Formats: sequence, C-alpha cells, structure tokens
Amino acid sequence: MTDGGDRSRDERLIGRAFRLHPLSIPYRVLEQGLGLAFVLLVVGAPAFGMVANSLGTSLTAVLGAVLVVGVVGYGVAYYRRFEYELTADTFDIRSGVFARRDREIPLRRIQNVDISQNIVQRALGIAEVRLETAGGSTSEAHLKFVSVTRANRLQREISRLSRAGDEQSPEPEAFETLFEISDRELGLLAVVSTDLRIIPALFLGASLFAPSAAAMFDAEMLLYGYQSVIGAVLGPLVTLAGIVLVGLLYGALNATLYYGFTLRGAADELRYERGLLQKYSGTIPLSKIQSLTVEENVLARAIGYASLEIETAGQSGGGEGNQGSSQSAIPLATRDRVLELTNSIEPVGDVGFERPPKRARQRYGVRYAAVVVILTGVLWLVDAVVGLPFAWWLALGALVLVPPAAHLKWRNRGYAVGENHVLTRNGFWVRQTKIVPYYRVQTVVSSSTVFQRRRRLATVTIDTAGARSLVGNDAKAVDVDDVTATQLREGVSGNLYTALRRRRHDEGRRRRFGDRRQSSGEPVAEE
Amino acid sequence: MSDRNDDPVAEEEPSPADAPSTPADGDAPEPTADPGTRGPVADDDPQGSTNGDPPSVAAAAGIDDDVIDTPRELASIVRVQWILRSTVGAVVFGAIVAGATLALGAGTDVVPAGRSTAVTAGVGAFLVAALYGVLKAVLLYRSWEYVVRADSLYLRRGVFTHVRTVVPYVRVQHIDTTRSPLERLLGLSTLVVYTAGSRGADVTIPGLTPERASTLQTRLERLAIESEEADAV
Repeated sequence: MTDGGDRSRDERLIGRAFRLHPLSIPYRVLEQGLGLAFVLLVVGAPAFGMVANSLGTSLTAVLGAVLVVGVVGYGVAYYRRFEYELTADTFDIRSGVFARRDREIPLRRIQNVDISQNIVQRALGIAEVRLETAGGSTSEAHLKFVSVTRANRLQREISRLSRAGDEQSPEPEAFETLFEISDRELGLLAVVSTDLRIIPALFLGASLFAPSAAAMFDAEMLLYGYQSVIGAVLGPLVTLAGIVLVGLLYGALNATLYYGFTLRGAADELRYERGLLQKYSGTIPLSKIQSLTVEENVLARAIGYASLEIETAGQSGGGEGNQGSSQSAIPLATRDRVLELTNSIEPVGDVGFERPPKRARQRYGVRYAAVVVILTGVLWLVDAVVGLPFAWWLALGALVLVPPAAHLKWRNRGYAVGENHVLTRNGFWVRQTKIVPYYRVQTVVSSSTVFQRRRRLATVTIDTAGARSLVGNDAKAVDVDDVTATQLREGVSGNLYTALRRRRHDEGRRRRFGDRRQSSGEPVAEE
Repeated sequence: MSDRNDDPVAEEEPSPADAPSTPADGDAPEPTADPGTRGPVADDDPQGSTNGDPPSVAAAAGIDDDVIDTPRELASIVRVQWILRSTVGAVVFGAIVAGATLALGAGTDVVPAGRSTAVTAGVGAFLVAALYGVLKAVLLYRSWEYVVRADSLYLRRGVFTHVRTVVPYVRVQHIDTTRSPLERLLGLSTLVVYTAGSRGADVTIPGLTPERASTLQTRLERLAIESEEADAV
C-alpha cells in the first residue's frame, strides 16, 4: 500500500490503490506547522499573552500541545485516508479526513500531468504531481507528495493510457529532443525577459520625481548651469539604474526558472523539464493544444529572438510559482527556430499578415493625443490648485511621441487567415502572435465601439478554451475593417465545421471513439 | 478567405451558415448580410444542393426552415426590467451626489451649504442618471437581436459598443434558463448558453418570454446534440 520509492521497478502500477509517500507526513506537518507558527507569531502573540494571562501558563502550554498534536494528527490522518489508484481508463482519488471525497478522472480528459519539486522536496526525493483537466478552476488531482520515481511513472503511464485508447502500445514511445536551452540563450533570457512594460511605469514614477527635478531645472539650471545639470541628470539616472537592476534581477530569477529547459517530443506528446532550484516537468498532449503564442518583446525582437507558449485548456502550467496557465515550449530561441517548432506542432505554413487599415493608425494617434491632452489638463488643474514648479503646458511636448507611438502600435497589429489556422498579432512592447487552429474555435465575437464605428473598424475576438483567455488573452484581430470583420467572424466559425469534418474524415479510420463520446455535455478538448 | 478549394471536404462550403437547406436565406434580412460573405454564396447555392454537401446542423436536427435565419427581437417588456434596474442605480447615484454635496457644502465653500442644495443636486443627478438609463434601455432593446442560424446561434446587441457573437452549435455545452424575481414579476426569462470558451457568460439572451425561452432552449439543445453527433460519426 505504501509508496516506498525503492520498490522494484516492475511493480504493478495500474489497478492498485496507493498511498502518498510516507515522507509527505512530516513534510506537510512541518509546512503547515510553519505556516501556523508564523500566523501565531505575527497575529497570535498578543492573543497568546492574553490567553496565558487569563488561563495560566500551564494550561496555555497544554493548549499549544493540543494544537501541535492536532496538526500532526491531521497530517497522519490525511496520509492514511488519501488513496489514489490508476486504472485502465480513470485516475481515482479517495481522500478527505472529515468530508470524504471520491473522485474519478477519465484519463482521456486529462490535459497535462505536471511534476514539481522544490529544493527540500528534491533532497527528500519526493515530488508534487498535478493532473489538469479542462474547466476546473484548480487542479483536479493534486498529489502531495509521491516519490520521484512514482511521479515519473505516473506521468508516463497516464500519458500512455490516455493516448492508447483502444490500440495498446505498451512500449513507451521514443522521445526526441526538440529544444534544449543553451547557456547563451539562458543568459539572453535573463537580459531580455526584463519586463519592458515597466517603462511606462517608469515615466509615471519619474513624474513623481519630476517636481524636484524640474525645480532644479527651472530655477537653477539656467542660472548656475553646470553642477546642477549633473544633479538633475544624476537623480533620474539613479532611478533608471535601480529599475534596470530590478529588471535584471527579475531576469535572473526567470533564468533560474528556465534553467536546463528541455523540450522533448513524441508522436502525440510534448514533455518539458526545467528549473534550477525548483524543478518542474510536465506533459503537453498535442491533441489538447488549444492555441500557440509566439511572443517577442521589444528587446527580443531587436536581436531576432522569440519565445513560444502553448495553451491547453488545463489550469496551470508549472505549479504554484507560475500563475500563467500556458506552458512555455521555448523560453527563448532564435525566431527561425521558434517558427520551425511552431510549424512542426501546428503546420501553419507561410501566411502573410494583414495590417489594420491606415485609418486605425489615425485612431491611435487621436487616442494618444487625447491622453496627452487630458494629462495636461490634469496638470493644469493641479497647477491651479496647488501650484506646480514648472509650466503645465510642458507636458504637451509629449505630443511629439504620439505619431511614432501610433505608428508602432499599428505596425505590430495584424491578422492572417491560413488554411487551417487563424492568426492574430498585437502589441509593440510585447508582441504576441496567436495561432488558433479552426477546430479549436469556441465562439467568435466581433465588437465595435463608438470610436471604432466612426472609422468603420471592428475587433474580432476568437475565443478558445485555453485557460489563459480567462484574463482576456484571446486571439484578437483588433481594428480591422468592419466588412473584413464580418467576413472574419463568419469565415472562422464556418471554417470550424469544415475543419471538424476534415479531422473526422482523417481520423475516422484510425480511431474508434469510445462510448463515452456519445454522452452529451462533451467537454472541450475533444479531438 | 473561405475559397481554398484544395481539400476535398471543404469543397463547396465557404460558410456552412449558408448551406442550401435554407431557402429563406436570400430574402431574409439577415443581419450579417454584407457583400463580402453573401457574394460567393449565391454562386455556390445551386451546385451545393446537387453535390451531396454535408447538410447543415439545423437541417439535420429537423428545425423548420422558417425558424432558421429569422432575426428575433426580445420581448418589449424587457425595457421595463432594464429601466427598473437602472433606476435603482440612479437612486443610489442621486443619494451619493446629495451626500457629497452636503458634505462639501458643510466643509468648504465650493457649493453653498444647506439641505436644499443637496436635495437639488441629488434629484438632478438622479434625473440625469434615470434619463440615461431609460435611453439606454430603449436603445439596447432596439439593438438586440438573435438569430438561430443553420450552424450557429448569432446574437447582436450593444448601444455604445456593438457586439455580435457567433456560437457554433458544436460548441454548446449546456443551456440554462433563469428567472430572477423581477423577471418572474414581468413574465420574462433569460437564456444562458454555455460554451467551453472563457466568454461563455457572454452568450446570454435576456428578455424572453418563458415559452420562447423554453422553446429556444429545447431547439438549441437539439441543435447542439445534432451537431455533436454529426461531429462524432
């Protein structure tokens, strides 16, 4: 029943109930105990004092002991009452100390199997396993913790069983390495992954310092010149250096996350491993892919690099540390290489992007100009009420930036309609190119605001079941001509049927669908 | 964009929504109609019917032709529902403005102090907000339209932002009808179509009569199941 990590390798995994790894008791107890101790220290210390005063020290100590026993007892009970079992077509979990829960997860519905290990867990040889299905807001199954060997075997077996369907292929498929991050790429990742969207934040922050800086500017610089010039320049420079440093630190952290990143692929599955301190590994069944995203920020674009992310309908990609719900397939590589892999996953081929009509650019110009004018107006108000050390109309100088900004925004927008995919592209700071296969389309929405209608523009949103779209990260063709928008909306939803029929045609012979297929309410990630 | 004819299945099917089973097609004032999508359909129609084209979902589900592609409006009483709802908001808004004016009048001399000013401001704010609510309800009602099409449900609505949603029947997970107390009072019902997409909640049709809602619900269920089976073969 127990999960001794060093059992013989030919131990039967399927059709037997297992418990978690015994070491998970002390680990969980300590984890929870530490959390509890922290809460008690921060919140509870005064309370403890009060309790001690009114009850006497010994009674309080007894209370504390009861608490400790409770935590330990709960830990043991959790362990004893947690059972998982892998059957031929489901993964069952029976858990719960007080409220019992029996859960069966059909293997066909499993989106990803993720394994993660932090440093302590690595030392103990235990790992956390998560099974993701579509639609759940949290992981459907969460094993804390099993031995590393068990975790890997589970991952392997689940993907084998869920893939196999009726044709049994007991031999694990040959995986070939698709991508392995090099030291150079890791270094570049650290530099490039600095989030450039902080630059607007920088401007905002600078405006806080602006009064003092501008005070020097106005009053002294023109009169006394030299030294105060240094002062005026140095202040912002220090700020800038600080921001760069924070950025680099962030980058370095990112680099440790993606340290040793390896992506391997078999016929129907991708598998990745990454992490220096905390190790992650996960599976991405190719049949569950909802969309692909090629992401390049300004810096990466400048040096011809890009990253690739894969969205499935599962909840999360890399465990708790990573709130993003899509898996990184390539953290950073040359654009060509990324496109090559993208094409091997979803054969998009060569598609030309269609930019929004030029009047969209005017729209951005007007929008940015309006923002500048409004900000100037706010400054004017502030000036009128409090008095500013510099002329409020200086802010209008930002109008110079409006045309290039509008142009860049326009330039990086676009959509493309491929044979089997629809692609959208957006963003200057972080340019995201989304690739959605037609057969993954859920709904298509076109919308046009008052301002868009004035210029006969509309936005088409192509919704997939990817979990990322929860934060509005859908594929969007923004500001396309309104006639084009209608065509796109109808065309994409029409192509969905065509694509489904074609897939059925292709797979009809190969795969017999299980009986479960007939039930209504067939979730998402079907084919 | 739909004219890549190099694969055998996709052949004569630029837009399944316009499959030959819908004679009402041509003359119905189809909301999505525009030269771009309609053009090729006219050419395809005659040959489509001779080619053993996969029938549309609606045809497979045996939905009457006169139902398909007919734009429907909401029940007009839904305006009352929306106006009542916005009036509640307007009352709150008016109260806040009145309170703010009172506080402002007491604290500073930007506005004259006293209850009458506050009441005037509050009532004024309420009237403006209520008027806005009424206008918006009327315009929203006018903009609302839903169409059961051959292969998808189509909704359009929106006052300031026009939104048009296409929900292919294959993607329908389940369909709810709900009735809030106010809706029950007014004899209305709301239909919610769930898809696996994150925007599932976007597909909500308010202001249906209960009969209409349940008819639509069964109809959509049938369409969803039919499309599923067509898909599953």
